[in-house]
Amino acid sequence: MSDTPVLDDRLKQERYEALVDALYQDVYRYAYWLCKNSALAEDLVQETFLRAWRSLDSLQNDKAAKAWLFTILRRENARLYERYRPDIVDIEDQSIADSDENEPDQRLDRRLLHEAIATLDKEYREPLLLQVIGGFSGKEIAEILDLNNNTVMTRLFRARGKLKHIFVPDSKSGDDISEGDMAEDQD
Amino acid sequence: MKMDDLEFRKRALANPHDTDEEFIAATSSSTARQQLVQELRMLDSRLSEVLLSAPIPTDLVERLKSRQPRAAAPKTRTMFSRYYALAASLVVAVGVTLSVGLQSARPSAADLQFHDDVLSHVYREAPRYSSNLADLSWQQISQVITEAGGHLREDERIKTLHIKFANDCNIVPATRGAHIVLEGTKGSVSVIIINNSPVTTKFDVTDPRFTGKIIPLGVGNLIIIGEKEEPLESYEALITDAFEWVI
Repeated sequence: MSDTPVLDDRLKQERYEALVDALYQDVYRYAYWLCKNSALAEDLVQETFLRAWRSLDSLQNDKAAKAWLFTILRRENARLYERYRPDIVDIEDQSIADSDENEPDQRLDRRLLHEAIATLDKEYREPLLLQVIGGFSGKEIAEILDLNNNTVMTRLFRARGKLKHIFVPDSKSGDDISEGDMAEDQD
Repeated sequence: MKMDDLEFRKRALANPHDTDEEFIAATSSSTARQQLVQELRMLDSRLSEVLLSAPIPTDLVERLKSRQPRAAAPKTRTMFSRYYALAASLVVAVGVTLSVGLQSARPSAADLQFHDDVLSHVYREAPRYSSNLADLSWQQISQVITEAGGHLREDERIKTLHIKFANDCNIVPATRGAHIVLEGTKGSVSVIIINNSPVTTKFDVTDPRFTGKIIPLGVGNLIIIGEKEEPLESYEALITDAFEWVI
């Protein structure tokens, strides 16, 4: 009797665990800021990795694993939660509470930035999360979000423009940026 | 070609860490541009600090590796969950025998999968009972309920309903269930009883065509689905009052 199936299972488990070790933190953070709730984020991450396990054989290149997992997570979020979410901002303040060592001004800044990110429209927040948390390029973000590259760059430009307006109000450089400067490209 | 200010600002805001030669050259061409890029990089640094500080559950990595589902959905900190928790406590306090209650604010992933399976089943079955079927006898209805592991108390109000279809239900493999269809005010109404794990909370069916409820009922679930605007509350009250599981 061949022991290949047992070996295959063990190799699959090892590959899966390596994937979890390397990426679970980024995947969780993306989920957390995407759905703005830690309990939902945890559910989403578990669903995402369960689906990843089931279709691990379809992942040809481990270098593409992060984009693959983020795409699964986005799809799961849309399928499971977006239609049920109550119309409230639900994000917790745990990440702020952990920063007690900071000066009060810094804590206030963090709180303001935290709120600004959480209340950013999803179409602007999502590419920004993919860029900052995922470290994806514009082209990769375009593929994950199924948008064209120009649309992604416009959304990133607007997302930072909105945050910059809050955090660098005295800036003389770039204050004349308005949303009307550039129409969003069509997909 | 030299990059104009608008194009430069757009690219700087889209990615202040852009390493493209053209962007780097454009940045060094004026102090105002350098200042903008510096401010945006500082903003990014703070942004990164906040985004990456989201606390990660301590045992998450082990649970992911073991591919275990969450033991129980933790209650989220919404006003909904607090009110629902209070409501659930009151339900227990008054000694209601069936666990038709609200145990948490939000359906779990498994609940939502169940929701999708139920809807697919109803869409699939709908053509079978859309025609003008004759009313079934109480005995026929009672037999289907019994085979699903339940008992429906003879209730005169239920007997006045136009129940036109009753069959065993296979939404969840290897579990017993009953699918009863009655004539509502807007069309057919499905009443489905499944002897499976109860959903974690009562929640509404979301669908462009149907309205409905999925309700934890003792050791299983009660699902009531009708066409949009069908008043389902009366059916829910009738069934939960007259039905019991036979254990």
